[in-house]
Amino acid sequence: MPKYGMTIDLDRCTGCRSCMVACKIENNTTQNAFWMYVFRLEEGKFPDTKISFLPRPCQHCDNAPCVKVCPVGARYKREDGIVATDWDRCIGCRYCEVACPYGVNSFNYKDPKKSQYMDWEDPDIQVATAGAVPSWANPSLNEKYGSENRSIAGSNHIKGVMEKCTFCVQRVEKDMLPACVDTCPTHALQFGDLDDPDSAPSVAIKEKDGFKLLEDRNTQPRVTYLGSPFGPGAREIERPSVKD
Amino acid sequence: MVLKVTRRDVLKVGAAAGALTAASSLFVGRMSTIRAVGAPKPDLQLTPVEEWVPTTCWIGKQDCGMLARKIDGRVVKFEGHPANPKNQGTLCPKGQGQIAALYDPDRVKTPLIRTNAKGVEGQFRKASWDEALELVAERMNEVRKRDPRLLIWQKGRSKAKKFYDEAFVKASGAMKIGHGAYCSDAGYRALEYTVGTHAVLHPDFKHTKYLLSWGWNITSAGGNKTCWLTWNQQLDEAKKNGIKVVAIDPRARPAGPFADEWVPIKPGTDLALALALCNMMIQSGTIDEPYLKEFTNSAHLVKADGTFVRAGEGDEAKEQVWDKASIGPMDFGKYGNDPALTGEFEVYGEKVKPAFQVFKEHVAQYTPEWAAQKCGINVRQIYQIAEDLRKHANIGATHVVDGVEIPYRPVGIMTYHISQTELGFQQVRAQTMLMMLLGAMGAVGGTLSDWTWKIHKGYAGLDNISITEEPNVYLKNSKYYPINSGNPSIMAQVMVDPEAYGVDYTPEVCIIHMANPMTSFLSQKDIYNGYMKYKFVAVIDPWLSKTADLFADVVLPAATLEKYEGPTSATDQYVGAQTLRTPPMDPLFESRGDIQIYMDLCEKAGILTGEDGYLDQVNKALKMDDEHKLSIDSKPSGEREVFDHWAKSAGYDGVEFFETQSVDVTGPVSAKKRYGYAMDEPFGGAVHRLYGESLLGYQNQMKALDVEEIYWRDYTALPTWREMTMNESPAEYDMNLISFHMIEFKQSRTSMISVLKELAPKSRADINPATAKAKGFAEGDQVIVESHNAVTGETRQITVPLHFTEGLRPDTLAIPHHYGEIAKHPQTEGQGATPNTLFFTGKGYTLNTADQSFHVKVRLLKA
Repeated sequence: MPKYGMTIDLDRCTGCRSCMVACKIENNTTQNAFWMYVFRLEEGKFPDTKISFLPRPCQHCDNAPCVKVCPVGARYKREDGIVATDWDRCIGCRYCEVACPYGVNSFNYKDPKKSQYMDWEDPDIQVATAGAVPSWANPSLNEKYGSENRSIAGSNHIKGVMEKCTFCVQRVEKDMLPACVDTCPTHALQFGDLDDPDSAPSVAIKEKDGFKLLEDRNTQPRVTYLGSPFGPGAREIERPSVKD
Repeated sequence: MVLKVTRRDVLKVGAAAGALTAASSLFVGRMSTIRAVGAPKPDLQLTPVEEWVPTTCWIGKQDCGMLARKIDGRVVKFEGHPANPKNQGTLCPKGQGQIAALYDPDRVKTPLIRTNAKGVEGQFRKASWDEALELVAERMNEVRKRDPRLLIWQKGRSKAKKFYDEAFVKASGAMKIGHGAYCSDAGYRALEYTVGTHAVLHPDFKHTKYLLSWGWNITSAGGNKTCWLTWNQQLDEAKKNGIKVVAIDPRARPAGPFADEWVPIKPGTDLALALALCNMMIQSGTIDEPYLKEFTNSAHLVKADGTFVRAGEGDEAKEQVWDKASIGPMDFGKYGNDPALTGEFEVYGEKVKPAFQVFKEHVAQYTPEWAAQKCGINVRQIYQIAEDLRKHANIGATHVVDGVEIPYRPVGIMTYHISQTELGFQQVRAQTMLMMLLGAMGAVGGTLSDWTWKIHKGYAGLDNISITEEPNVYLKNSKYYPINSGNPSIMAQVMVDPEAYGVDYTPEVCIIHMANPMTSFLSQKDIYNGYMKYKFVAVIDPWLSKTADLFADVVLPAATLEKYEGPTSATDQYVGAQTLRTPPMDPLFESRGDIQIYMDLCEKAGILTGEDGYLDQVNKALKMDDEHKLSIDSKPSGEREVFDHWAKSAGYDGVEFFETQSVDVTGPVSAKKRYGYAMDEPFGGAVHRLYGESLLGYQNQMKALDVEEIYWRDYTALPTWREMTMNESPAEYDMNLISFHMIEFKQSRTSMISVLKELAPKSRADINPATAKAKGFAEGDQVIVESHNAVTGETRQITVPLHFTEGLRPDTLAIPHHYGEIAKHPQTEGQGATPNTLFFTGKGYTLNTADQSFHVKVRLLKA
């Protein structure tokens, strides 16, 4: 059984947010929901200004606080390292959102059909796409995954359910890279089996010093950041229309 | 089929080309297994049916290779095609997001015909293709018969030049006008004139060790010749090889963490820095004498009147150099001579100097301290750049590539859009001359221009312009702009008052294809007034662009990427490749592929068939062999048939090759093609023009024709600093406005795409917090930005919210150029203004090459 993990090389990230869009299209996330988010950061005063970028997916912690607080076992840790959310079982209590120090959870407040960007009632588009909402709806999200056969790929973002990055479980189980990793133009993101010393992230970790986000919380993330970290005075610039 | 191919391997294949390429293009590289394109996944149950089909990106500047994932015939995602050298399996945010453009229910779905007056929000009725095309054909033919000059074909980004710019323009006789005057054409003209290549400047990333990223928006925009993505992949590799990057830019954000040093230069002053660096190279003797003597006009003897000394008569006249061995003048290039670069000599009774000596004396005034003051930067940074250039230039060194020994000068410049400044033509000339002094142009690791070192017709053409007093509507070869990039804003000004420019006609019919002049061009006021003069406008576009909304009589709905289009080079500069856009699905709604639209239009206009008809012109443009030429007697069944003919003519089995393989990787680009020095005849025989004798000649002619100084002042033999016109605005206009590109968008054709717009929903003005606070503004405040025209006194305003950043000069305001409600579309509502409203066209704001400057003085007012 592989133990999946991701590396994010901050020296290679250009902050382009292609990963954010790739995630959105693959996982059909609703408006303002980003399972992958890229901070664009700035620190220092002119002209000693430093710019940096920080992609933030779910950290898929080995000691995940969100798993511990879930009262119904909807949030659980898979054997392969993925922290999953069973939308069949989630009751929408949002404890996981409170427990997570990384802010990666996203709650579905709305009927997803009303927050999928465009007017899919349009009859012409309905003819063209057989009524799919959104038009790029990915049926793989409705399948069940893992030996436990659970509904964890997000489905169509059911109202009242909590969700987050799944490491693209629907792709990973078919030996495909997560959508964010696949699209990254400078290969800043790597994904694979951390138990395999030859996997892309294992090699990347060997080649460069790394760190984990909020290591002192003992969450034991499966995402490792490589390269130069941003400083304590960093502030976010170019914030998109995400929820506050 | 089980083949263990990791993505890393696939990337290697993509870069190395060769025998594995055909196989790699069959597969989507994934974690540990791969999957055949077009075949159902082995582990997938019977339904739904999944397939992966190749296509290419349509949004961007270059058509990156893509694979469309289809479920039961419906496209659900685009991913990068691993075999395409340009993107190697990856995509930028626009590439990912364009699926929302494809399915956009607010695309133009049917042909539209205008029912109200022009110049205001449009009212349209739906029309059949037959009716709409007949109307366009009728209006087009009416003016073609009367005076072909009255028909204009306006293009933005051309995705199939052979079919549009060549075949349609030739078949219809329309006058073509593009977008280059807002892009980088001043740089193109500078390079064509100076070294003969048709491009601006870029490094040889495989070998460059020191890069001046001169206005290159590394993290957020393309560079010379390719899109952002390709350059960033090459920079990423170069960083691993230890390249040092110096970002010369008023903003820190573009180069971001990829710059080892940031030189926050004052907008528009780049010429001053380039001249000072030239001076410093000469002063320190950091010059490549053999190159300058053999391949440039540096040794040409210059008379007091600025012309070269020549011996012989007429066409036989030969430029003279001073031969140190025989102590006398000699024909340039004569075998065995050792010409002087410096000194003063007497020839035919006249005091003369080598051009290099003239240049040396000319740039002596441009000291680093002077430049630091002009550019608003720390002089220590200029000394550091000079030191780094000296250290890295390796003058005299060679490097063997493909078995050829070639000069090795691992110093590069990437410069592109910043050619569009008031002094941009001479600025890019000076940047090029800096590299010429080091012998770095066309050297391994040095500064390159086009993909392969080809000599463009502009090299001779720009040196031999016959100035006419009866120019065309964009003033080609005119006494105002002898070198001329074809600026639609100048054309718009001429259309309002043609007599003032000696133009005796006003175009009446315009076909606008994939262009949105009202938001992406400037100045908007001139564009508006000019375009109101057209009697008939047809727009080919997937959306109801602002231009279409205001001016179109007919809108013809084009498909987005769901069409055949091309062929397109897929080279990344090191590997040659060819691709073709193949449709992942049929055109949505009633839209049609653009090539189909031109065939349909030409059919209606009676110019499809017969000799010199559209099909004949397509055959010529695509260089179809006799066996596979399209019949010029009958209309092909569709785009696919046309490309099948082309593919067979080009040596493929048919269009199916591209429908399954997507890209043909032809192998490494040889050193002899890439590096000017390595060509069989070095630099294609072009003598590089350090000294621009003909530029001075144009100035003299312009003066003789009584042209105002503001037009001729930058026609100087050597790049010469002068104070910028915009600085003559009153002191209360205390900020420099620049515009910039964001990676989420492509010019003014993507901010209506929902999943991209979400990332950057509204326009904004970047400002240094200290400046804002001193003016009493807080972050997020709506402010009025007012620009001032120093020549006419006109002011213009927009309202925009402030966004704070410490990565910006305190005297500069920066606004992205992607907004301005680019189309009539629910997603663009309330997005806010474009800086293009604030810029000016015409005297003082248009370059000597008719190119557009994107600089103006502004002030901030409370909204």
